[in-house]
Amino acid sequence: MSAMLMMKQVTKNYGDGGRTMSVLNKLDLTVNAGEFIAVLGPSGSGKSTFLSAAGALLTPTSGEIWIDGESLTNKDKRELTELRLQKIGFMFQNAQLLPYLKVEEQLLYVARLAKLGTKESKERAAGLMKRLGIWERRSHYPEKLSGGEKQRVAIARAWMNKPAILFADEPTASLDFERGREVVRMIADEVRSEGKAAVMVTHDERMLDWCDRVLHLENGMLAEHQNTEAATVQV
Amino acid sequence: MFLALREMRHSKARYSLIMVIMLLVSFLVLFVTGLARGLAYANISAVENMPANYFTVQDDAEHTFRRSQLSEAELAAAMSVVGDGNAATLAVQTSTVTAEAAEVKADITFFAVDMDGMLAPKVVQGEALTNASQGSAIVDSKLEESGIAVGSTIVDQASGMSFKVAGTVEDSSYSHMPVVYITKSDWQLMKGGAAQEGSAQLSAPYNVIALKATSAEADQVAGKLDHVEVITQKQAISSIPGYAAEQKSLLMMIAFLFVIAAFVLAVFFYVITIQKTSQFGILKAMGTKMSYLAWSVVGQVLILSVASLAVSLLLTFGMNMGLPDTMPFQLERSTILLTCVLFIGMSLLGALISVVRVAKVDALEAIGRAGA
Repeated sequence: MSAMLMMKQVTKNYGDGGRTMSVLNKLDLTVNAGEFIAVLGPSGSGKSTFLSAAGALLTPTSGEIWIDGESLTNKDKRELTELRLQKIGFMFQNAQLLPYLKVEEQLLYVARLAKLGTKESKERAAGLMKRLGIWERRSHYPEKLSGGEKQRVAIARAWMNKPAILFADEPTASLDFERGREVVRMIADEVRSEGKAAVMVTHDERMLDWCDRVLHLENGMLAEHQNTEAATVQV
Repeated sequence: MFLALREMRHSKARYSLIMVIMLLVSFLVLFVTGLARGLAYANISAVENMPANYFTVQDDAEHTFRRSQLSEAELAAAMSVVGDGNAATLAVQTSTVTAEAAEVKADITFFAVDMDGMLAPKVVQGEALTNASQGSAIVDSKLEESGIAVGSTIVDQASGMSFKVAGTVEDSSYSHMPVVYITKSDWQLMKGGAAQEGSAQLSAPYNVIALKATSAEADQVAGKLDHVEVITQKQAISSIPGYAAEQKSLLMMIAFLFVIAAFVLAVFFYVITIQKTSQFGILKAMGTKMSYLAWSVVGQVLILSVASLAVSLLLTFGMNMGLPDTMPFQLERSTILLTCVLFIGMSLLGALISVVRVAKVDALEAIGRAGA
């Protein structure tokens, strides 16, 4: 099994009026292909910083990060942008779809950025939309979609370029319990069918049924808890 | 362009509004430019249409034709440098004429020229004059509005001399007055009559010498003659009374319109860009290159300004056809091209601050934001 994400001794300090504050403190994490990981933590525990560092948006103070075997150290802004495009899929809070693109165009846009062929990207978009149950909505603008549908489009968009890993930032924050669970289940399904990995940051402990591992972000480090519930569901 | 076009498709009302503003501003730019050019042409067309590119004037005349006095001696000196066919004297006299048949008076400018030289008027109707003609004149066709046409007789109020109109020329105005071309011998008569009887044998001076010359030749002429300055056609035109004042105020309006166009676009795109800050963060996080986003903004500005220019060009041409003849309007292709390029250039300049703003958005803003 290959590691899709590897973080070694990652530290991020913020200067705060003379004192430095370690948000991430020698954090280690390995996520393998086919794994769906949840990172839990109360607000202010550094979840956003963790996700930004892992997602090549933020350069850590020290430590090293590899995505699909590629080290992020010593890459400039342009290279990191290219790496995010090719290797990383993002899901943001509230889906954050572009309001002026129809559902299908949301997917085709990222394919265009990655210079995928038109035919190939249309087929891939159609496949994703069908699997995620938004095929019927493909020519609607985001404003016409429900919150759950938006997040499903966001899932499709995140997987569009066949990234090595998906990072989801509180994907269920704006959804009710049922729809939230459904979205998480769909992320998990895609992880399995694509053979890739996903990391979900959340504060909602009810959303963990389909996660392979649940980690808690405490004092800038990730502590592993055995997810008994998930184990029972899978068995 | 993928994003730029789809965004405009989605927010039609928003982009249409700004396009209408741009359209009006660019229409005004083109229209005022046309009027300024038309007014300029109506003012100085007689000098602008001369084949001369340099004028020799007295150095204390401050480039103004009527203040300058030159004689045959200076003409001979100029001719020795540039050749006989490339130098010609010009005498200018504003006056009022009355038409014998019609009970009208008209303000005109007499141009006394060598009828065989390069300044000879190009007659479109009637017959040309020779240097031997006496008491004949070629008049600008605008005098037809005052009832003066080929065959009429006009009387100069100052000297009392009468001239028979032999032919007409087009586009010959000086200081907004129609030009009446007379021969050099009639000029001597007119001036001799006005001067004391005793000094009649002295030939009356001319005002300027028009030259068709290279700049080296022009320098040579200036060096050869004392108290004489050689000025370009452009300098000569801007010294024609009223020309600079007229053009400067119009030019200021046009300049302001350009600045307004740039600012309107700049503010519009800046506000839109600020509204979309989080979107740009998301786009960058997803791996969109900055250059792509910059092109997106620039592309929208280009589409808006080119489209509004195209429509306003059509409007300008339509308006021009409906304008009365007394309202001078002129737009040459080169002026249109320059105006359009300037307009688009200013629009892009206005888009620049938005591009800078987009460049400053950090992809990091995408994470941990609850706001839509």
